[in-house]
Amino acid sequence: MVTIDLAELTVRKANELIRKHGAAGEDVEVINPDARHHIGVGLISPIRVKVRGSAGYFCAGLTDQARFEVDNNVGWGLGDNMYAGSVVVAGNAGAIAGVAIRGAELVVRGNMGSRAGQVMKAGTLCCAGNANFMAGYMMYGGRIIILGDSGERLGEDMTGGEIFVGGSVQDLGSDAEITDIAAEEIESVREFLDRYKIPFKGNFQKVVNAGKKLRYSTSEQQMRSLPFFSFSGASSYWNPKIQEDIHIKSHIGRYRIRGYGGARSLPHLADLAFKRDLSNAGNHVDVISQVEMHTEIGGKNGAEPLKLSMPVMIAPMSYGALSRSTKQAIGMASSLSRIAENTGEGGMSDAQRDAADQLIFQCLGGRLGWNIHDMLRADGLEIYISQGAKPGLGGQLMAKKVTPELAAIRGIPAGIDLRSPSRHPDILGADDLVIKIEEFREATGYRLPVSVKLGAGRVRDDIKIAAKDGFDFIELDGMQGSTGAGSAEVIDYVGIPTLAAIIEAEEALAEIGRRQDVEIVLMGGIRDGTDAVKGLCLGADAVAFGTSVIIAGGCIACMQCHVGQCVTGIATQDPEHEERFHVHVEAQNIHRFLESVRWQIAAITQGLGYTDVRELSRDDLVAVTPEAASITGLPYAPEYRDNRVPQVEKAS
Amino acid sequence: MYKNNDQDLQTGQFLIDMLDGCQHRGPDSTGFALYGDAKPGQLRLRFFTGEGDEATADVQRIQSALSEQGAEVVEDQVIGNNYRVTVNFDGDLRKFSYRMEHVAKVISIGSSLEIVKDVGTAHHVDDRYDVRSFHGTHGIGHVRLATESDVKPEASHPFWATGFADVAIVHNGQITNYWKMRRRLEQRDFEFSTDNDSELIAVYLADKLSQDVSLKEVLRTSIDDLDGTFSFLVSTRDEIGYAKDRLAAKPMIMFENDDLISIASEEVSLNRLFPGQALNTKEPPPGTYNTWSRSI
Repeated sequence: MVTIDLAELTVRKANELIRKHGAAGEDVEVINPDARHHIGVGLISPIRVKVRGSAGYFCAGLTDQARFEVDNNVGWGLGDNMYAGSVVVAGNAGAIAGVAIRGAELVVRGNMGSRAGQVMKAGTLCCAGNANFMAGYMMYGGRIIILGDSGERLGEDMTGGEIFVGGSVQDLGSDAEITDIAAEEIESVREFLDRYKIPFKGNFQKVVNAGKKLRYSTSEQQMRSLPFFSFSGASSYWNPKIQEDIHIKSHIGRYRIRGYGGARSLPHLADLAFKRDLSNAGNHVDVISQVEMHTEIGGKNGAEPLKLSMPVMIAPMSYGALSRSTKQAIGMASSLSRIAENTGEGGMSDAQRDAADQLIFQCLGGRLGWNIHDMLRADGLEIYISQGAKPGLGGQLMAKKVTPELAAIRGIPAGIDLRSPSRHPDILGADDLVIKIEEFREATGYRLPVSVKLGAGRVRDDIKIAAKDGFDFIELDGMQGSTGAGSAEVIDYVGIPTLAAIIEAEEALAEIGRRQDVEIVLMGGIRDGTDAVKGLCLGADAVAFGTSVIIAGGCIACMQCHVGQCVTGIATQDPEHEERFHVHVEAQNIHRFLESVRWQIAAITQGLGYTDVRELSRDDLVAVTPEAASITGLPYAPEYRDNRVPQVEKAS
Repeated sequence: MYKNNDQDLQTGQFLIDMLDGCQHRGPDSTGFALYGDAKPGQLRLRFFTGEGDEATADVQRIQSALSEQGAEVVEDQVIGNNYRVTVNFDGDLRKFSYRMEHVAKVISIGSSLEIVKDVGTAHHVDDRYDVRSFHGTHGIGHVRLATESDVKPEASHPFWATGFADVAIVHNGQITNYWKMRRRLEQRDFEFSTDNDSELIAVYLADKLSQDVSLKEVLRTSIDDLDGTFSFLVSTRDEIGYAKDRLAAKPMIMFENDDLISIASEEVSLNRLFPGQALNTKEPPPGTYNTWSRSI
């Protein structure tokens, strides 16, 4: 056994050594831990790690196979997202012990703090003492054993899994109920206790999901889709969209869910125009070679940056909302155009990983599909705080799309109307976020850029927090972004337009003197190279395309993404529907669209008199509506109306 | 807080160590509320002052306001960007405090309380204000990550309960019924020197304390009256206490032995006082409160 002394070494250095000894199959003893955070994070070797004292936050987090023993207490997030392996804690555990575990056996011989087992998927979390408030909160599977008493709201909004309580149950949470226990379940619990030498002779109560909230009671009837023009509601007061809404609500008695982006007219990049006459832009036979567009994102703090052939990325869209084939085609197109793709929520498929040369792996509050192995094969990590289409809310995936295969990758029961948590279990403030980012960096050896995705809400504050918390870059998503499923009112009425978001972000960074060392990727309704250049002029370091990429891949904008029967095979998990999507054909279509974006960026940049996209600035723009002028502070110059979309055509 | 004084009281140094242990939670600013011996009839005041000539003008303005209010200066000192002054005063403290607030930036007023806070880390603030040489019986401290307000010394914690001697607070969280509570207190002529929700908690608590309600009882009602997320510590001349919201959204952990009680956000701070030891710590449950009194 190798001894590592934390009185001598930093946790970062200690973790490097632990992983090195792990790879060599040597057990490790950590002395003088003094409750430091992140001990053992990212270890994926089947060794024993003995911690001689207390460990801090995320002890044994993001690990697989290792067996940890802690002599005293642990802080928040014990065994975060752990796969196989075990942790035995001799003392107490802080809040969210066993958060998001995907397997593993965790034993706490003392008491556990609040929200133990939040969003856990599998494995066993056992506490020999008492469990505090909301144990089993939003758990999707696995088993919690509490030998002492459980606090308030046990099993709050649990979806799957079982909770066994040996002491008293103070009260049950929403949609939890006490049920009968089979003899073999008791036997299995006792076998577990024996294995960890925990004496307990008492009886158990078993708590499970009551099944009242897993599905919406009345499903929304399918309507003939309204053309986007009628849908946008501009035609008249009681227009067809309003009427349809009322009819459906009178039937289902709740808010409506739909897919796609907002239909309201909002100030956008289209309300800006270029100052220069661009009628000759793009006349050069090979304008792309005339403009430097290579962009590196995420390397400011020493991580390996994403290397983009132009300041463009794919916006995060989940495998789940979209079919596997669609994610594969987008991945292929991103590789052909040498930009980066993003997993969105819900995990990384092999097909997607193989297709995309550069892939950002997104982490959400439900930790659906999140795991150490895919982190290690990603090119960037992203913490999702919210999205532009529905800031502050979690994702929705209707039962039709929660197939057994999809459920397995996410670690949830199949066939539920999945409403993803809107908050992270371990990020309840800007201070917690600092500790979370460091966990990801520890787990991946400080190699990958860690970014944050912010839906535009209180942009000024959020951007400052993101900058201070030390993210490698920020993805800022405006209200014109789309979603696979969201409440119709929220999509249309909640959020901050993309145009306003980037302006606020720039001002916020200027206020704290950080503009030079923070990179922003702007997204939310970016439609083409013209929008992209305007975003860059306003200060974005790159822009990301989501909806436009889907449209390039054949989307007909019927706004029924949430239903799961997408006629184009894009937003569906039904194999028959998916067959209609031809991966290689659509990959080429998306690639060609991205290349048109490249050409437009080059042509406009050159037309503005520059040889490098980094020379673009807000001085190149004017506002052609009073609203856009007010939002951006650009001069109001309606006479430039014709310069909004340069009349450039590809020369060849 | 030390429970008895037959030992070397290292309150200043202990608070520096504890805050250094959790500085990752807030590198923007650091502050301390320190309690020394009270002398009958005397008040200690701390003010923020500007730099250079501005500081001289600030000090003159403060001195003339003090004499106008009948406060007789016993001793004074300019340290860092603070003006620290001890006065003899026996009038209405609230009126006096508000008057002083109107002419200068008051940090704290009390018979034993002094608040030291500035931008930078615990060590930066110690270097500037010599916190380590402080040997009182108890104190509270805070590291701050500025989120919704600017990085300014006056926006950092601890907050003094404006108008009430010796009451200070440190708080992690966000009070969502801030404006409603503030309007209620303002209708009763209370004044606030910032828009910070932590100042509101301090004034809310101090108001009740001044009506002879016990600290424990005040903390109990605070859990019902305050909405949002919070873990806070409050200190008075003789007591410290904590309250924690019902949602358990903000961390808190404590260690108690025969000599002292120490409370922190993370065990790593407690371990700074006892390096290499496995401590028997406790995490207070949601919706709870408690107090400790000094016996010395």
